Amino acid sequence: MTSFGRFIRLALGAWALLLLVSMAPASAQQVNPTASSVKEQQLLQELNRIQGRVSIPDQRSGVLEQPQGREWREFRNVTLRWIGGIAILGTIAAIVIFYLTVGMVRLESGRSGRTIVRFNAFERFVHWLTATCFIVLAISGLNITFGRPLLLPLIGFEAFSEWSQWAKYAHNYLSFPFTLGVVLIFLMWIGGNIPNKVDIEWAKRGGGLIGHDHPPAYRFNAGQKMIYWIVVIGGGLVAASGYALMFPFYGTGIEGMQMAQIVHSIVAVLFVAAMIGHIYIGTIGMEGAFEAMGSGEVDVNWAREHHSLWLDEQKARTGPNDGQPQPATAAAE
Amino acid sequence: MLIKRTHQHSPRQGSVVESLAGQASGLDRRSFLRKSGVAGGALAALGTMPLGSVRKAEAAMAGPLTAGATIRKSICTHCAVGCTVTAEVLNGVWIGQEPSWDSPINRGSHCAKGASVRELVHSERRLRYPMKLVGGQWTRVSWDTAINEIGDKLQAVREKSGPDSVYWLGSAKMTNEGAYLFRKLGAFWGTNNTDHQARICHSTTVTGVANTWGYGAMTNSYNDIRNAKTQVVLGGNPAEAHPVSLQHLLEGKELQKANFVVIDPRLTRTAAHATEYVRMRPGTDIPVLYGMMWHILQNGWEDKEFIRQRVYGFDDIKKEVEKWPPEEVERVTGIPGEQLKRVAKMFATEKPATLIWAMGQTQKTVGTANVRASCIALLMTGNVGKAGAGANIFRGHDNVQGATDVGLDIVTLPFYYGLAEGAWKHWSRVWEVDYDFLKSRFDSKQIMETPGIPLTRWFEAVTLPKDQVAQKDNVKAVFVQGHASNSITRIPESLNGLKALELLVIADPHPTTWASLAVEAGRKDGVYILPVATQFECKGSRVASNRSLQWGEQIVKPIFESKDDLEVIYLMAKKLGFADQMFKKIKVENNLPEAEDVLREMNRGSWSTGYCGQSPERLKAHMKNQAKFDMLTMRAPKDDPEVGGDYYGLPWPCWGSPEVKHPGTPLLYNTNLHVMDGGGTFRPRFGIEREEKLPDGTSRKVSLLADGSYSLGSGIQDGYPEFTLASLKKLGWDSELTEAEMAVINKINPANPDAVSWALDLSGGIQRVALAHGCVPYGNGKARMNAFGLPDPIPVHREPIYTPRVDLVAKYPTLPDAKQFRMPNIGFSVQKAAVEKGIAKQFPLILSSGRLVEYEGGGEETRTNPWLAELQQDMFIEINPADAAERGVKDGGWVWVTGAENNSRARMKALVTERVGKGVAWMPFHFGGWFAGKDLRGNYPKGTDPIVLGESANTITTYGYDPATGMQEPKVTLCQIAAA
Amino acid sequence: MARMKFLCDADRCIECNACVTACKNEHEVPWGINRRRVVTINDGKPGERSISMACMHCTDAPCAAVCPVNCFYTTADAVVLHSKDLCIGCGYCFYACPFGAPQYPKVGNFGSRGKMDKCTYCAGGPEADGSKEEYAKYGANRLAEGKLPLCAEMCSTKSLLAGDGEIIAQIYKERVMKRGYGSGAWGWKTAYRETIES
Repeated sequence: MTSFGRFIRLALGAWALLLLVSMAPASAQQVNPTASSVKEQQLLQELNRIQGRVSIPDQRSGVLEQPQGREWREFRNVTLRWIGGIAILGTIAAIVIFYLTVGMVRLESGRSGRTIVRFNAFERFVHWLTATCFIVLAISGLNITFGRPLLLPLIGFEAFSEWSQWAKYAHNYLSFPFTLGVVLIFLMWIGGNIPNKVDIEWAKRGGGLIGHDHPPAYRFNAGQKMIYWIVVIGGGLVAASGYALMFPFYGTGIEGMQMAQIVHSIVAVLFVAAMIGHIYIGTIGMEGAFEAMGSGEVDVNWAREHHSLWLDEQKARTGPNDGQPQPATAAAE
Repeated sequence: MLIKRTHQHSPRQGSVVESLAGQASGLDRRSFLRKSGVAGGALAALGTMPLGSVRKAEAAMAGPLTAGATIRKSICTHCAVGCTVTAEVLNGVWIGQEPSWDSPINRGSHCAKGASVRELVHSERRLRYPMKLVGGQWTRVSWDTAINEIGDKLQAVREKSGPDSVYWLGSAKMTNEGAYLFRKLGAFWGTNNTDHQARICHSTTVTGVANTWGYGAMTNSYNDIRNAKTQVVLGGNPAEAHPVSLQHLLEGKELQKANFVVIDPRLTRTAAHATEYVRMRPGTDIPVLYGMMWHILQNGWEDKEFIRQRVYGFDDIKKEVEKWPPEEVERVTGIPGEQLKRVAKMFATEKPATLIWAMGQTQKTVGTANVRASCIALLMTGNVGKAGAGANIFRGHDNVQGATDVGLDIVTLPFYYGLAEGAWKHWSRVWEVDYDFLKSRFDSKQIMETPGIPLTRWFEAVTLPKDQVAQKDNVKAVFVQGHASNSITRIPESLNGLKALELLVIADPHPTTWASLAVEAGRKDGVYILPVATQFECKGSRVASNRSLQWGEQIVKPIFESKDDLEVIYLMAKKLGFADQMFKKIKVENNLPEAEDVLREMNRGSWSTGYCGQSPERLKAHMKNQAKFDMLTMRAPKDDPEVGGDYYGLPWPCWGSPEVKHPGTPLLYNTNLHVMDGGGTFRPRFGIEREEKLPDGTSRKVSLLADGSYSLGSGIQDGYPEFTLASLKKLGWDSELTEAEMAVINKINPANPDAVSWALDLSGGIQRVALAHGCVPYGNGKARMNAFGLPDPIPVHREPIYTPRVDLVAKYPTLPDAKQFRMPNIGFSVQKAAVEKGIAKQFPLILSSGRLVEYEGGGEETRTNPWLAELQQDMFIEINPADAAERGVKDGGWVWVTGAENNSRARMKALVTERVGKGVAWMPFHFGGWFAGKDLRGNYPKGTDPIVLGESANTITTYGYDPATGMQEPKVTLCQIAAA
Repeated sequence: MARMKFLCDADRCIECNACVTACKNEHEVPWGINRRRVVTINDGKPGERSISMACMHCTDAPCAAVCPVNCFYTTADAVVLHSKDLCIGCGYCFYACPFGAPQYPKVGNFGSRGKMDKCTYCAGGPEADGSKEEYAKYGANRLAEGKLPLCAEMCSTKSLLAGDGEIIAQIYKERVMKRGYGSGAWGWKTAYRETIES
């Protein structure tokens, strides 16, 4: 019986509430719009932005006030410069120190004179396409962040603006081939870049950069895989965030663009830092490495030292000498 | 063509800045600014600060681009606030607009429309030359060809069907001179079928207000609202329709700590600033007002002394008010009794209180009765004829008050003389033409004295069976000069009219929806378009809502091939063969009648309304000396040589000839002032006594003259009738008339000079003598709470024709079917059929309509202005979130709106908002160029289509006409909305 | 020292858009560029307020701080202006601006930005005051003629005030005192790091 009584009470309560709600419109009529006017600081505290209605189709202009631009400004003018500065200068410094102390990683076993095709023409085309674009994008991008304090005082307003204008065009237009390159890289080399057990061993041994160690690796060692994923993920992120900035308000608001700029710039400076490392290793950091992307063919000894498992795979597929043209130097050996 | 500042050939050199820089190099901009008084400008921009002390530095500081420009002043054409537009003109090009600080009305301000009027003149989409529709194609013709062909066709129609078969539709945008000549053209053509926008905006106000206390106009002024302690807006949204007036309303509200009450179905932009917002059901204004009066009478808040002295018919109203206790008011209007009591108390006890309205009250089948009820509320509380009080009726076009005054109307000759023989004779004397000549122009003397067809019914006058139109034949030709077609309700039916016409002439700066809908209706020929100049290319006087006349200069010459209104009228008169007669007393040069001379002719004939004192010279002096008028009183210092003691714009009535130097009447019926200082009394216009039947079958005679109330310094300290020679004689004042005056009087009515009244006396002598004795020429009567003679002498609530509250129709039906204005009004049958057919179930939403700040009227002109068009690019309908949710309608999504008649439908965007209550939808009425979902852009002559097109609200609106004026009903009908 | 500011009295603003079209008129601003706009908050609800907004000419302007090419400058009257010759249309000022002031004409390729355009406080740009070049790029230079921005001068209800910050603050304070209510000087805290006590 008690439960029934409770039910009745509840039902009555609900009924009363309903009545109240249904009466609400009547009482809502009694308003004093002047006394109940919206207040700026209250709105700002609630949402940190004030938005309303505008009749023009440009709905973004309905955002009246968004003080969070201040945080973005702090990021752009201070945080980003520190991150970028540290990342890029740090990388360069580390490389310089490394180079001075360790020097170029030499081909320990010397050149065999026999080569093996590491990257075919298409692969190299894609690489260089992406790389060239990247360098232009990096320089023009860095110009946006660092040009004003570093370059502008040197060349003056007009020249700097002129240059920056062209840099902006270059940045916008080259983003397309760059993005294409990243996509191709992703598709082209995904096979060799799935992390596996070998990578753990490779990483444990520090990639054999120091000393005379040569941890085994397939076509791409863990370091290269890292670069691959940096390019794919980093490239993907800069492309996505970049397009969000290039096509303003297509699917993003102002916060979205601020976020996009933050992602774009952080990823980009780290990307640049990583690529400086990549360029170092691919050029003066390691003997014989450049050829992989230069002529596309590497010395078999180089392959053995850095990509032993890959070399084994290649041999297994083609036979020791089968199909491999004998290099001219072989006769002289 | 040089039409923009940027197109300037060579920049003028020698600016002040440069010369300053030359004299004192090193003068930085900051100190320059200090010198030039920018801070003062900031103060002047303020409003609460006295203007005079910190007036902005004289604009001699023009920079290089505006150096050498001349300043010309005209009046904004987009509402009746009467903002002065200050134009900079260089080499015949209007290169810039400057704030008009000196105008006591707008004090530098504008709204979106006023701040962008320059574009209207150099618009690239304006009509450039006359055109005619040939085989469905718009073809260029010369002015000569156009006028000749139109004239021949009109004559042919006249011969076959009589002069009443031509409908002359004029415009509230014309100057007084243009509107007056257009009416005169109708008179000389021989028809009373001459109308203009007032029909669809404030015809009910004019009729209702004039029938209450004498004149159909705003009693006070925008500026005077600053004096009010309580402002009640019922049926208006001045924040969007009259934005600059809000300067006065809001500052008044602030300075007086006034109550600012907005009663409206929508929480409008005006309501957003109210101290009390009251939401009502559309179409229930009379119950709202009676509901207020119920509380007033219940609590004894009425002004008993005022009622005793100055009001007739109070007891009749009391009886009606008793029928409206709070429960019934809430049942009908939805307003809780307590809230209405609060409003009523403010209105009656926190005085002065003013009632402000616009088309929210007027555009109804009960429009006249609504307005009457408003006047009655003011009378009951003694809120008329005082500063800060009154009926502040906000009118919609720059010269809609003036065009009404000058008689561009179907019921009267200029200045409310009516259509009776006496009126025609008066005007034939003024025009110096033979009365018999005028009579010969008409089909008959009877039709000459019969009101014409309201413009709201023009298409029915074309399409109804001939025997239902009470004139010789149907309307066969429409000559429209400056009027939109999409502001008229029932567009789907108007298409039938457009198709059936033999001739349609559109004289306008833009082709308007007349053109696009005529093509849509299937017309292939018989349509002419004449390019008419904008008002900025014409000079003349305009009357603001507050009855002030302002003289606008010609800013630039008419561009392209467009012509001044006056010239078009002259060319038509010439072609039709009566120009010599019509312009007998008016100077015409190169086919262009001189505006000043037209005004002088009006001065000579307009005694009834007090337009006789506003000579062109005085009006020009006012524009020149704008700065001298006080912002609050609108009066110039008495010692000023040119405008001393005048009220700004000589608000009518400005009695006597210009030489009398009457200062104008800023507040009508104000007994606290001497008549020569603008004082006045209620006008005894409906007899001096009335026989009332008593319940016991006997009758008594009740005086309609004021009882013990009179204006300050009056020579007669009681009520008195209008002045005639006879009454002057009775008073012994006739000896003060000069011989010349007596001669004129004798000439007017040789048989019975005693009967010549103040309104007919062309000498002005009778007025002069009355004024000399401190008496108002028209007399001193009582205002009528009971306006006997109107269809509803005591306002009665009547449900709209299409109402969602079918339960109330039996108790509050609309008036029975009747014949009005040569046409049948079958509102009762339509209402009955709607109830029987269950229309309210199929179309459950109330549809109302109104203004947007960016556009005006039919909107073709403003939608052609990119600066405005950009701000409102889509036609929309406001719908409450609850109604939207029920229908799956999304904010910003497309919807189909369907109407209760003609299977009408329209496609537009939805604006989901709590601005409208549940069950109510609202549309702006400015859009056009779409019909039933179809874009008609291709129907416009190439390059003249407005930038923004959209469905017209009036595609959905329905039947309903006020019995007293023929006003349409676009404010309340029914619709249904579905997601598209 | 004159310190030019804007102040929109929200209790007066009625969204009549006079400021918007006055701006268009004075500077012949093209379609799609809205140097000034009116935003309505709580549209259609009790407490609705409209605020006219343009560049506020901030103290320590964020746009100027983040501009990669340093194209902004502040005049002696504290008006924040920029050089369209230097601007590269990168959009950074728009990210930083709290008021959505910078506008970009859409030019050619993929809807990207042209040279930024914004409210100049009717003070033109770096070109010679009142020159044709200045007018073409930035619009009229009223300040040099001793006039205030036209938007404020033409405001229908004297809601939008322009002029020296101290003077307009004083005007606003007196208004609020007289009428007994106010909803604050919108944007001032964000733009000038100060408010008007009311």
